[in-house]
Amino acid sequence: MIDFALKDLKGHRVRTILTGLGILIAITAIVSLGSISAGINEMVTSTTSKVGSDTIFIMKTFDFSEMSGPPTSWQISDISQEDVEAIKSLSGIKRAVPVLSKSLGGIMEVDAIDIDNLDIFGADDLTFKEGSMPGNDDQGAALGYTAAKILGVGAGDYITLNKKEVEVMGIIEEGYGSYDLVILLPYKYGEEIYDAEGEATQIMVEPQDVSLVDEIKNTVADEFEGLDAMTMEDALSMSKQMTQTLDIMTLGIGFIASLVAAIGIIITMYTSVLERRKQLGIMKAVGALRRTIMKQILEEALLISLISSLIGLGISFVFVDLINNVLLGGTKIAVITPLLGIGAVAYGVMITIISSLYPAWVAVKTDPIEAIRKG
Amino acid sequence: MKKVLFELKDVWKIYCMKGTETQALRDISLKIENGEYVAIVGQSGSGKSTLMHVIGCLDTPTRGSVVVDGKEISQLEDDDLAKIRREKIGFVFQAFNLIDSLTAAENVAMPMRFNGYGKAESIKRAKELLKRVGLEKRVDHKPNQLSGGEQQRVAICRALANDPEIILADEPTGNLDSRSGSEIIALMEELHKSGKTIIMVTHDQNLAKRAKRQIKLKDGQIVNE
Ligand SMILES: Nc1ncnc2c1ncn2[C@@H]1O[C@H](COP(=O)(O)OP(=O)(O)O)[C@@H](O)[C@H]1O
Ligand SMILES: [Mg+2]
Repeated sequence: MIDFALKDLKGHRVRTILTGLGILIAITAIVSLGSISAGINEMVTSTTSKVGSDTIFIMKTFDFSEMSGPPTSWQISDISQEDVEAIKSLSGIKRAVPVLSKSLGGIMEVDAIDIDNLDIFGADDLTFKEGSMPGNDDQGAALGYTAAKILGVGAGDYITLNKKEVEVMGIIEEGYGSYDLVILLPYKYGEEIYDAEGEATQIMVEPQDVSLVDEIKNTVADEFEGLDAMTMEDALSMSKQMTQTLDIMTLGIGFIASLVAAIGIIITMYTSVLERRKQLGIMKAVGALRRTIMKQILEEALLISLISSLIGLGISFVFVDLINNVLLGGTKIAVITPLLGIGAVAYGVMITIISSLYPAWVAVKTDPIEAIRKG
Repeated sequence: MKKVLFELKDVWKIYCMKGTETQALRDISLKIENGEYVAIVGQSGSGKSTLMHVIGCLDTPTRGSVVVDGKEISQLEDDDLAKIRREKIGFVFQAFNLIDSLTAAENVAMPMRFNGYGKAESIKRAKELLKRVGLEKRVDHKPNQLSGGEQQRVAICRALANDPEIILADEPTGNLDSRSGSEIIALMEELHKSGKTIIMVTHDQNLAKRAKRQIKLKDGQIVNE
């Protein structure tokens, strides 16, 4: 009898709001924090899924002091020209494509790549909002959607890279994961801009056969000091580890918030049951079964938790917008995935129902005779 | 054809509170048949309400046997008692005991809802019942917007909601002025004429005399009959 539950909630507005407030705050905290790691996960997955799983990725050994801030801002030092040449001539390799990556403005990244080998980066299917991809011999850049927005430029405008003017030749459409934040340069032009003739920050290697992946990885690790080789799978699991740390933090904060919310619910629901002893007693006297009483209290809990969880979710969307636009400078890193949103609401409902079980049991135990005698 | 609705045998109800025992009912045996109009009288504290609660399946005796409509109830669980109450018995209390947050019609509809009827159907029948007691203009009023006499008439409608055979009324006129009181009594007598079994606790000797049968309690025991 959900209409009875609704009536009681409306009749005690302040109490209802207080009961729901804790859940609202807990859900907001969980969803807002969770959105960051959910977003990073989604970005990494969408990028790596475009790159072949047999592609090997070679770069300087990770120095953890370089890993501060979001991963897109990590400044990776260059691989020498000698090493680039040596890797290109390793056996079992179909092609080795060097990349020159430089970070820009914290979250954007400049990638100088070989335009003829776009497929190895999973960038061969990019579509353009304005202009087009520069050719290998062009002197210009293609900008990711968000990068163009942050820099406030369109095709034909100029941007400054390493104190040099660079023409914007194309703007990529929105929705390509990490490519949204990227500035792409033809490889030769990139070397020129960054005075890095023959050097690279990463080398993408495609083996002649999948079975050679481990061999090539081992050769690189053994023969080139200071270089690491990994597949996209390895990279994925590394970023998974990082988002896991974020997830644990989110869960920790979420757990404490839900504990506080649960205590609040137990207290307000219990008080509300005591206040309504007479009503509950009368209901029992005129024939309500235990489960009818139980159901009414739990239905109240369900209504309160659904409404406050949904409001919490709504507030989270505002927070995520603030995180993206204020904290992360106009990116779309934090996202509320359907799993996160639905999961958080379900969690809020579950916490409320569980916390209401004791008050509901007290309600079931109300003595009808006592209620009647007092009148 | 008369049938025995209530049969109590050697019923005791003993309350224990902080070591002191109160024998609210002492060795009560009685039979009430279908269609009777019984008045229960006695001084305050003599055990009238306790007897009503035991008869009405709100409470079980400490000792003894209570058979309601052929069924022994003294060992039944809460839910089984509740099912008997909502199907067979309508209660009217001295303090009306309506639910403040519900309208008159919703109060009357409540036992029907518990009995499995839908909202619309229950409210419709509730309004018909309220019309029968002259409250058709008050169906959407909350109890605090009604006079005592009106509240008690709503309570009688609630007692009639599931069309029970039996109406139990514990001092139904105790909180009312004499005019509202006689209206309630007139209603009770009308219900009796329509075939309901009425058991009513009252202080008022005149009212008690109008009943076909009187049961007088003193210190938890039946002293007349
Ligand atoms: N829950 C209880 N605990 C202890 N004593 C009770 C309880 N209910 C009733 N009594 C006692 O039982 C006796 C009978 O009470 P009651 O049936 O209410 O009498 P009446 O309705 O005739 O005034 C009184 O002495 C009363 O104090
Ligand atoms: Mg009494």
